[in-house]
Amino acid sequence: MDPFSLLGLPRRPLLSEEEIGTAYRKLAGELHPDQEGGDAAAFRKLGAASAIVRDPARRLRELAGTGSSNSLPSQAAVLFPQIAAVLQQADTLIEKHSVASNALSKALLSAPLKSLSVDLRASLLAVGTWRNSLEKELIRLDAAWPGVDQDAMHLVADSFAYATRWERELKERELALACTK
Amino acid sequence: MIAGIDLGTTNSLIGVYESGFPTLLADSNGKRLLPSVVFYGNEILVGHEACRMQALHPEETISSVKRLIGRRFGDPETKDIAGTPGSPVTLALGGQNRTPEEISSEILKRLKAIAENRLGTGITRAVITVPAYFNDAQRAATKRAGELAGFTVERIVSEPTAAALAYGLDKLQDQSKIAVYDLGGGTFDLSILQLDNGVFQVLSTHGDTRLGGDDLDRAIGKLISSKAILDSFSSSDGIRLHEAARTAKETLSSEEQTNILLPFLKDGESIEMTLTRSEIEEVCAPIIRRTRTHCLHALEDAGLKPGDLDQIILVGGSTRMPLVRELVTEIFGKEPNLSQHPDEAVALGAVLQGAILEGSLHHVALLDVTPLSLGLETFGGLMNVIIPRNTTIPAKAGEMFTNAVAGQSGMKITVLQGERELADDNWTLGSFEIPFPPSPKGAARVGVQFSIDADGILQVLARDTATGSEKIVEIKSAVEVSDEAVEAMLSDSLEHAFEDMDARIFTEARLKAEEMLPAVEAALSQLGGELGAGEVILIREQAAQVTAALESRETARLKIALANLDTATQSLATRLIEKAMH
Repeated sequence: MDPFSLLGLPRRPLLSEEEIGTAYRKLAGELHPDQEGGDAAAFRKLGAASAIVRDPARRLRELAGTGSSNSLPSQAAVLFPQIAAVLQQADTLIEKHSVASNALSKALLSAPLKSLSVDLRASLLAVGTWRNSLEKELIRLDAAWPGVDQDAMHLVADSFAYATRWERELKERELALACTK
Repeated sequence: MIAGIDLGTTNSLIGVYESGFPTLLADSNGKRLLPSVVFYGNEILVGHEACRMQALHPEETISSVKRLIGRRFGDPETKDIAGTPGSPVTLALGGQNRTPEEISSEILKRLKAIAENRLGTGITRAVITVPAYFNDAQRAATKRAGELAGFTVERIVSEPTAAALAYGLDKLQDQSKIAVYDLGGGTFDLSILQLDNGVFQVLSTHGDTRLGGDDLDRAIGKLISSKAILDSFSSSDGIRLHEAARTAKETLSSEEQTNILLPFLKDGESIEMTLTRSEIEEVCAPIIRRTRTHCLHALEDAGLKPGDLDQIILVGGSTRMPLVRELVTEIFGKEPNLSQHPDEAVALGAVLQGAILEGSLHHVALLDVTPLSLGLETFGGLMNVIIPRNTTIPAKAGEMFTNAVAGQSGMKITVLQGERELADDNWTLGSFEIPFPPSPKGAARVGVQFSIDADGILQVLARDTATGSEKIVEIKSAVEVSDEAVEAMLSDSLEHAFEDMDARIFTEARLKAEEMLPAVEAALSQLGGELGAGEVILIREQAAQVTAALESRETARLKIALANLDTATQSLATRLIEKAMH
């Protein structure tokens, strides 16, 4: 069944986190198996539907239907080398720091960790800027909806998928780095 | 009637829903908190009575058994107990090997008796709480403990979620976001919830099942013994010291200083000293600071900033420490809410969850999550996530797999729980084989479906789509290995466990030395010019001592030499850090 109508939401590209959350909680409160008249199978379906609708990439793919963009979003290609390098650098240094058993070995890592933190910030900023432009793209798609080209939707969906994943991975490293202190 | 039970590391409580209110029940002495301590002598004693036996019979008494439930030998938690790595934990008490769930069931039986006495009726149904960050095996083992005690376990519910329910039901505005900071006797959880018209939705949870008040007591105990210049204790003295440490911690939550008096220790020695709050804070701070990471993770997973939270609720006895409250204020930029009784909130929440289940509390729903990602080991030894962490439960998800090799006649499926990329770094819940007729590459298709119930316990269903043959796999938790197998593994390993000890300690020290020596060289080459000649000579001397100790193969000597080198290089380390900051 269509995840949008399961949640009682309109089928369109732009939906706010808040309206999705409110719709989900209202129905989840009624369908939860603990409740009188609750329904475990319907509750799980609702959960799966909200996971699709909440994620912009999955939401757009759901709207665009089959097919795919078949090409790497150009901004993803631009950002990839920088992000892959900083992620790899982060993993190496954080691992080194965590296995170091004495204060001196850890201290030797402080300079490289400092510069890593600068690099992480810069990458996060770059992804954040890209994400902002994607949010604007989403507003444009929503305004033109439903007269939107499928391939264009897939391209934006893929872009969101990359941006979301990189943002998450970079933030994970930033957190791990904060925890070395 | 469904009872609500908080089965805690240090204390346990039971309550029921009576005429529209959650009520906690007291024993015949009017005490609601039952110490989670069990004594195995001629008879089995639980609670306060068991506490009284602890100093006299430390070998027959067990406390904090929650730290061992659902664990296997080889986990950090079990380092003081001999056993074969990978096999379920058992403890020799009162002349028998006993599982942690058996021991926990004694505590639950006592709670059951307290409730039945008070109410004059049989109680057979219960909701039992567990730390939010408990994994599948720990949840299943807790459920089993409840069943051993004669309960039908209606629900396993997460402690911070329960506390939020107890707190939020009458105090919270609709549409608030709250964090529950739960630092108990043995575990730490941080959960973030959103409330919306009676729906309590957990947005994220993070924690550590090996971090709690016990660790603080241990650190304070170490402080006391080092101040008293005592380094070895008999086990009953150790228990008295631990008791004294806990009392000091509790007193110093409201006083600035306290006196420790421990007469008649081993060899007629005694300890008498004054301990100040700032002294214990110094040793407790590094432990308490470890909670910060989990708070940051949970915020990140919920997609929130500290400022988005309306309330921070403190739960668990350890949150009475002023230092904990300071750290919470620092992390969230807001004073925590102190209106909730930190020892009772969880049990009250369990009672309320029971009331929801029996239909006496309406228009309230708890939407809890699974704390850890669940997935499968893939071909390259990686973790393939099927149900990501913080997914609302009950939940179901699946994936289709095909054979990677032509002629393959089966597929091994290993079920994992955890957040690490490499399969080996996660907790293995179990593995099983799905057979299928040999077929060309990619032709065999196996569907694997994960389903998590409302208790957070996983069931796996695998189906060969060609033949339609189906296999439901109950994940084997640590408890289900046969007793004979455990006995055999135990007797095997006990003999070797002790003789290996010294060799292992030396190896650990050697590895440290082999890491330390090149670090000293590297640091000197970076900063040597800025140090005084005297300091450089001192460092080199200490380094030479370490090298000499390594050759002598004397464990004690190597440890002392390493400690000295560590001290000698302290200012060097500080300078390196300072230099990096500029």
